[in-house]
Amino acid sequence: MGPLLPVPGPITSFAFLNTLQALEDLPFDEGMRYGAQLYNCEPYLTEDRYREKMARGRIRPADLAAILRKSLAEAGDVVIGSLVTRHKLRLAMLSYPLLYGPMHELRWYVEETEALKRFRGDVAPATRERMIEETRRWVMRDLRGDGNRGGNQAPPHARTLLADLLDRFGDSSIEHWCDPLAEWEALTLETLWRICRDGVERFAAPTAPVRRGDRHRDLLRDVTSEDSDALVHAVLIRYCAAFCDQGFAGWPLPGREKGFYRCFFQLYRRASGPPDRWRRGLAGELCRIEGLGLGPRESIAESLQLLGVSIEKRSEFITATLLALRGWAGMLWQTEVRGDRVPRPAAAGTLLEFLAVRLILDRLALSSVAKETLGYDGPLAELRHVLAERTAQRPRPSVDQRALMMFQLAQLLEWPPSTLLHLAPDAWSALVGEIEAFPSLDRRWHFQQAFERRYRQQALDAFSIHVRRRAPQLDSPRFQAVFCIDAREESFRRHLEEIAPDVATYGAPGFFGVPMYYRGAGDAHFSALCPIVVKPRHWVVEDVVYTLEESHRRRARTRRALGSASHQLHVGSRSIASGALLAAGLGVLASAPLLARVVFPRLTAQLRRTASRWMDVPPVTRLRLERSSPMPGPADGQVGFALDEMADMSERMLRDIGLTAHFSRLVMFVAHGAFCLNNPHKSAYDCGACTGNAGSPNSRALAAMLNDRRVRILLAKRGLEIPNETHFLGGLHNTTVDTVRFFDLDALPRSHVADFEAAAGILHDTCQRNAHERCRRFDSAPLDLTCAQAYQHVEARSEDLAQPRPEFGNASNALCFVGRRARTRGLYLDRRAFLNSYDPTQDDAEHTILARILSAVVPVCEGINMQYNLSYIDPTGWGCGTKLPHNVTSLLGVMNGYASDLQAGLPWQGVEIHEPIRLLFIIESTPAAMLSIMERNPAIRRVLANGWAQLAVLAPDSSEIHVYRSGVFHLYMPETDALPRVASSVDWYRGWRDHLGFAVIENGGP
Amino acid sequence: MRSYDAFIQLLGLTVVAAPAAMVLILGLPSLAGRPLSERSISRTIQTAIMVALLAALTVLTTMLADGDRHLAIEVGNWVKIEHPHYHFSIKLLFDRLSVPFVILTFVLCGIIGAFANRYMHRERGFNRFFVFFAFFVLGMVFTSLAGTIETLFVGWELVGLSSALLVGFYIERPAPVRNGLYVWTVYRVSDAALLLAALVLHHVRGEGDFEKLLGAGPWPAGEATITQWQALSVGALLLVAAAGKSALAPFSGWLPRAMEGPTPSSAVFYGALSVHLGAFLLLRASPLLALSPALCAGVVTIGLATAFFAASAGRVQTDIKCALSFASLTQVGIIVAEIGLFAPLSAWLLYVPLVHILGHGCLRTLQFVRAPTLLLDYRSLENAIGTPLPHANGIWDRCIPARRRRWFYRLALERGYVDAWLADYVVTPVLRVFRVCDALERRWARLLSGSSKQGQDARPAGEESL
Repeated sequence: MGPLLPVPGPITSFAFLNTLQALEDLPFDEGMRYGAQLYNCEPYLTEDRYREKMARGRIRPADLAAILRKSLAEAGDVVIGSLVTRHKLRLAMLSYPLLYGPMHELRWYVEETEALKRFRGDVAPATRERMIEETRRWVMRDLRGDGNRGGNQAPPHARTLLADLLDRFGDSSIEHWCDPLAEWEALTLETLWRICRDGVERFAAPTAPVRRGDRHRDLLRDVTSEDSDALVHAVLIRYCAAFCDQGFAGWPLPGREKGFYRCFFQLYRRASGPPDRWRRGLAGELCRIEGLGLGPRESIAESLQLLGVSIEKRSEFITATLLALRGWAGMLWQTEVRGDRVPRPAAAGTLLEFLAVRLILDRLALSSVAKETLGYDGPLAELRHVLAERTAQRPRPSVDQRALMMFQLAQLLEWPPSTLLHLAPDAWSALVGEIEAFPSLDRRWHFQQAFERRYRQQALDAFSIHVRRRAPQLDSPRFQAVFCIDAREESFRRHLEEIAPDVATYGAPGFFGVPMYYRGAGDAHFSALCPIVVKPRHWVVEDVVYTLEESHRRRARTRRALGSASHQLHVGSRSIASGALLAAGLGVLASAPLLARVVFPRLTAQLRRTASRWMDVPPVTRLRLERSSPMPGPADGQVGFALDEMADMSERMLRDIGLTAHFSRLVMFVAHGAFCLNNPHKSAYDCGACTGNAGSPNSRALAAMLNDRRVRILLAKRGLEIPNETHFLGGLHNTTVDTVRFFDLDALPRSHVADFEAAAGILHDTCQRNAHERCRRFDSAPLDLTCAQAYQHVEARSEDLAQPRPEFGNASNALCFVGRRARTRGLYLDRRAFLNSYDPTQDDAEHTILARILSAVVPVCEGINMQYNLSYIDPTGWGCGTKLPHNVTSLLGVMNGYASDLQAGLPWQGVEIHEPIRLLFIIESTPAAMLSIMERNPAIRRVLANGWAQLAVLAPDSSEIHVYRSGVFHLYMPETDALPRVASSVDWYRGWRDHLGFAVIENGGP
Repeated sequence: MRSYDAFIQLLGLTVVAAPAAMVLILGLPSLAGRPLSERSISRTIQTAIMVALLAALTVLTTMLADGDRHLAIEVGNWVKIEHPHYHFSIKLLFDRLSVPFVILTFVLCGIIGAFANRYMHRERGFNRFFVFFAFFVLGMVFTSLAGTIETLFVGWELVGLSSALLVGFYIERPAPVRNGLYVWTVYRVSDAALLLAALVLHHVRGEGDFEKLLGAGPWPAGEATITQWQALSVGALLLVAAAGKSALAPFSGWLPRAMEGPTPSSAVFYGALSVHLGAFLLLRASPLLALSPALCAGVVTIGLATAFFAASAGRVQTDIKCALSFASLTQVGIIVAEIGLFAPLSAWLLYVPLVHILGHGCLRTLQFVRAPTLLLDYRSLENAIGTPLPHANGIWDRCIPARRRRWFYRLALERGYVDAWLADYVVTPVLRVFRVCDALERRWARLLSGSSKQGQDARPAGEESL
């Protein structure tokens, strides 16, 4: 059951995985809809939100029509009820917002608005006039006639239907209406409404789809509108939080080491104090279970039996029960299976024990609610039947609700009352059936497809046009820089290439192929620096060089003393006596930092940094990379890698990105991290390939390995010659503040200092321009900032306590390109693309390199994309809603307000600018190669073949693109053959806040 | 001299008029359905609070300069009935109690206003937040400057209403709304007590003027002029009002529940200002306390009980906002106990709780706005210390024997069972009485109207139709 629970785990190291990864074996749409049902969330955006995107041109009507044509194929030409083709009908249902809602809303719409007096505003004036005219003629000629004139007589039941209507409008005075046009319009619509009601009434409404896995609580709530879960969760949230706590509470949970189940029993076994009414029986029940000697497994079996859950329904029931408090259940599961991610892991079997406890509480709450509201006292196993009897039939849509659809469509598609009245019963049946066979969920699916199509077409067009130009050759680049595949680095690389056209950039997952547990010289714990799907096998620590050892010790002592003091202060301020002294004595002084922090965030941060410089870790440190003992481990002698392991990792990274020749004098690996205050989700802005940590130790480690002469000799033996004058550097790009810093500069050879200084200057300019481009997306940053101002603006953002949007992370990601940078260089990708370097010309016949790249890139990028998509689609369901009421709990996660389920997913402030479209992989390879890789690699296959991401391949030697659709590659036909051309990035984005299209940046290439 | 007095009067009025103008500027466009832009809202808030703060500081300076520690401004008698003697007057009182309190209000609200302006950026309900915020500021100013119990009640209500609405700020989720209602219910009890106190006062003195009641001497030197029993009855009602507003025992259940709103509102309301209003009320009525030792004993008991309860409940909280709210409550308990203890001893000792309130308000606001940084702060503390953070071994390890620990832990985890206790012994009986009354009333109504059928309100449930 665990895998179905939310996956991000502790937010101190946010894991970007697809929330629905357990359903990836199903095709995308099926998986989404099933997942949405399980989680009780939305699978797609609402129609209104799609329409809002249409209004902004993010979806075009043409895309919608094209998707409809594709999904209907020939069936689209079928004429329904001799009125309209299926295609046209569905297109109308998609194009116009049709009101459909609960009865109260409809009643208001019909009675209080002008719905029966005026045509909808979006009906074309010509249509409106024709319909009124037609009705007028029909009423005057056929309806009012005495029936003797023959011809097109209205059927008798229509006369009875409309008789009182004519009376009401004043049959006799019809020729003397004072405002004939308005009166006729009203009459037309009233007639139409009656006919629609009359027509629809004759056919049974479709039944609403049956919900799966109904728990007792759902039925009970339907009948009594009392929620037994609210009672259970109040206890369970408190207890789970105490159990999961990683050291926040002053009093730890007594007996936690005994496990979730036993500890709960010990705590609640004795009746003490007046607990809530429904829990009166808890102590007795726990004693009974303990007396019987039931363990968690047996207790679950007993509870299921008492609840009357049949064997075949068990798994469904248990899933639904666990998902009812899925945030906490998921956190217990994560701390159970990935104990290496938290200081206090949970023991194996904790999730099971959670379920046992939960079912016991469920039983008590159910009996109590059933007794209080229904007076039901019998066994719980029978409760379901009792409730099922009381539950009314599942509500079917009422006649009015259904008729309103027809009424609105009749206006839009110009079906005058007379036509509808003469419709044969089977035509009516076809029409009603047809409308009801295209419910909202299907309409939203079409919108989603059109949304994705729009971006896909634009992207593929841009790629196929751009790659036609002669790819630039850089035989002796000034320096080479390798960045993370992260979408945020796209703009950074683009600006770097614009400033220095003779620089070559590469992209690779930000842990740079060095998975490890790492502990810095000033850190208390190891943290795992690699994608969440990998469990590292090596440990690395940072040492201060021996010369500075003394100063290091001194500073560490100072830090410890100050740390202890401030911890004491922290805890003391919450206790009685020291709290009183602090508050009464020094409290007023707190207004100074409060004022400074809030009003002058940037200045305060600078002051604080300067003040703490003298106790930071000394500046010269080394990574302890080489291991002496055979087995790796966290202990002193076991830290590090063996020499051939280093050579393996180095070789693999260089071959992956295709950097095997033309080495320049400086080669940089630049990892990234985000630094911001007051942001519980900080780690979601860090490197996703390092499980929500900054990747600097990895880049630094790789550079140090590649600088090792012995590693170079080993590499040379494997045919990878690195020139002696090449020096590698590890660096860190701070994506919030836009700074780049490098490590181990003390080991930089004197001969390379000039090269480095030139490079550093270029990178500084790049940072400013990158900050400038980022600022266009911040509403609170004016559009006319200069680069230097933008740079200051982003710095202030990161230090501001009041800033919920220090940056946007990977929001708006939509594309992942795996191939040579030379082919995309100079193409404006709007920070929406993951870029991984790969040179197909260096790969072997088995595509070994591509296969191993994709085995990391596909799950990582798809996970990031799906996490953003889901959090955007249903911000409070899949995501964690707005971050403003968030409450950090147990040092692991956030709750909404004072007691709620743990909120998994991303906060709305982080996904606000996202567009929820499935990631489009464009891979520089051939269809045959991709098919063979998918064949061999199930992890890649399940994502791509089941459509959890879109896939296209770009031919390595031409501009041909093939798109993968249901198992087959189809040749893509570009829709245009021209791309906008601008001199520089800033010319393209200046003045715009919204997403931007593709463009060729002329300064972008060498 | 006359113009100087007029100047001071004008300053005093500005302190109230600026927040009132702020309420109007933000509120009227919202009523008309055309809320101001984010930028204008923030400018309005900042200007109004700055103006009011400057005015309050000037009043403070003049008071310090000319040694007059007591300034009363009459804003008029709004209702005046000669027989029976009754009048309703609004009167502002600037003295050594109200001026520091009102300055604290402006400082904290100004900072939090600036904070929230960036924090709430692009949030749905931005305008709504600041309208409530403006009402809150106005309410705080009225309460602190109130010279009559009626004026105080006006501010008290404004604070209560805006607090409850801000707890339920996220109207699309059920929990905030439910908890907002909970807060509101407790506030109503407290309001009722205050209203009763006002009635009793009027009954005793014919008016609600603090000066008349508590003696003309400037705070804290006043001396009440009523009998001990009158003091006890009014004081007990005021104590209930204060207990509800300041979440003292046994009303403490609402304080953690109030953590549903956006962080800045939690900070300024429940960390700093409105949670201290109860203590402020007791300070204002301190001459009453001095009259009745029994009342003082009650105040001390409630204060200490609250402090110990909150301190132990706070020790088991695993989330930062509840931990901070219990920490707040601990100090409020201590402050109340201080008032009860010092009031009969010496009036001048009452400066201790006043300073305590000011310091505590600033400290807690800082901690609240930093609450989302908890993870970062803890990590850097751990890194500095080099090990996982030690549990501070307080009374837990020293005083409580090992076998009782579980019992105490559970008591703290369940927040002393006060909620369940209130629900069982207060809410349920009250509801039952109301239901009985309701049934009686229906029966009488039926009898009187002569119809034997069910009332109109029991409409048969059937298929709805248009």
